[in-house]
Amino acid sequence: MTKKQKFDRLLNGMDLETAKLFRPILMHFAARFSQKTYREFASDYRVLVECNIKAMEYFDTDLVGLISDPYRETSAFGAKVSFPDEAVPKCEEIIVKSLEDAKALKNPDLYKEERTRDRIEGAKYFAKRLKGDIPVIGWIEGPLAEACDLAGVGEMLMQMMIDPDFANILMDKCVVTAKEFARLQILEGCDIIGMGDAICSQIDIGTYDAFVKERQKEIIDYVHECGGKVKLHICGDISHLLASIKDLGMDILDLDWQVDMDIAHDVIGPDVIRCGNIDPVLIQNSSSEQLEIMTGETIKKEMGRKHIISGGCEITVNTPIENLMAIRKSSN
Amino acid sequence: MSEILEKIAYCVEFGKINQQSPYPPDMKGQLGADELTKEALDTGLAPEDILKKGLVIGMERIGIKFRENKVFVPQVLMSAKAMSTAIEHLKPFFQSGDVKRSGIFIIGTVAGDLHDIGKNLVSMMVEGNGWEVVDLGTDVSADKFVNAIKDNPGSHVGLSALLTTTMINMEHILKEVKAASPETRVLIGGAPVSEDFKNKIGADFYSPDPQGAVEYLNSLVA
Repeated sequence: MTKKQKFDRLLNGMDLETAKLFRPILMHFAARFSQKTYREFASDYRVLVECNIKAMEYFDTDLVGLISDPYRETSAFGAKVSFPDEAVPKCEEIIVKSLEDAKALKNPDLYKEERTRDRIEGAKYFAKRLKGDIPVIGWIEGPLAEACDLAGVGEMLMQMMIDPDFANILMDKCVVTAKEFARLQILEGCDIIGMGDAICSQIDIGTYDAFVKERQKEIIDYVHECGGKVKLHICGDISHLLASIKDLGMDILDLDWQVDMDIAHDVIGPDVIRCGNIDPVLIQNSSSEQLEIMTGETIKKEMGRKHIISGGCEITVNTPIENLMAIRKSSN
Repeated sequence: MSEILEKIAYCVEFGKINQQSPYPPDMKGQLGADELTKEALDTGLAPEDILKKGLVIGMERIGIKFRENKVFVPQVLMSAKAMSTAIEHLKPFFQSGDVKRSGIFIIGTVAGDLHDIGKNLVSMMVEGNGWEVVDLGTDVSADKFVNAIKDNPGSHVGLSALLTTTMINMEHILKEVKAASPETRVLIGGAPVSEDFKNKIGADFYSPDPQGAVEYLNSLVA
């Protein structure tokens, strides 16, 4: 059975007592594992894909992904992005500073812009290298995350309170680009689109419902229309948002370590695959024996439910190889 | 507390910046922290009382609500904006010495880390509680912290990190700060940081929320 078939069976609620899929979020760790700098990983799709494949083969992960940093779309919108050797790319400027800027912002041609084209090429390259046997997760920024990238986190969060017009105009443009970016990645072979909207964990449910929920749902519905599945990723504690998130219709929900997996299962329901949620700090700092125990406990709790074993968020670059391997071995 | 001081505290707590601000919707058209602070000064209230019995009370209330997950980051940002707008009226009194700051707090996100939202929240909450804040920004080296302490004798330091990969830089910065200024108290915070980590590296205080940092700093000058 291919990993794609294994994933499809999980989606359909089959083999829940026996199969346990493993998909840690690997970015800087994957680059280092292949002796590549993060600059190379984030700026060249061939490096990103090869690093992912090497890590997938070594750790026997069940899915691979195109995630690298939040600034693909921001760059396409016109912001200058720099590439430190061993850090996440840095956005050098805020390009939306006023309502006029938000109104004037043009949705970019994602094939023409270097950083978005690089990810689309990555989707194509993954498809060529893996021949459709391994599920590939593309990546887009969620509407609030992208608006924050364009306007600044503090400013955007305050604009939602003071000037809803600004927030709505900007986020609507982010939705248009998110949908198009998702469509192009699916077109080139991605099976799943990951949507990262990390900042949502920092807002209350009223603000989430007023500004974010329907926009995320619009993107998710569109990805489904395009034939893809959706993995929603919000770093941090989203316990207070689960009652709203359950309506979105995503196929996979990443849960960070602060969220109680049982409660999430009860609120979200059995149809959504929950992915998580061992604390990445513990994955880095614990012994492999301790991690085997933690993984075993998670698997025991999740037996019979739709679940993918993973860290709560990205596996840190300094995580010992044997620690990640310990999780893989104990998930089998 | 006088009625106007309570109103100022209420405006800060609920993020009512000025009359023009549409937020919060149920206070639309009402005077905000900006106008009320000016009015309080015009009626002869002591600037120190406006700060300590009005603005600081409002920031304390929002800090506690944030700790208890009753409000989230946007609401705290609005409170901080209301506070900082009001405090503009008090600046001449800080400069003249009529209002005394509780102390000086130097804060920065540690080297290698570009995230600033957590650092900004702590910075705003501490400032709103009567401290002078020297914000060194993000990606701050040990040298910069040490130089800032030299420029601001008697100050205390806050180190912020969002990433597991960068929180390890706290240990080096802490060592350099303590070597240069052993009496300086060093507070640490950020998503991956914990009490265990604080004990491991020997920092003076860890708080999972901004209000904890405020309470610790206030305890140093009580």
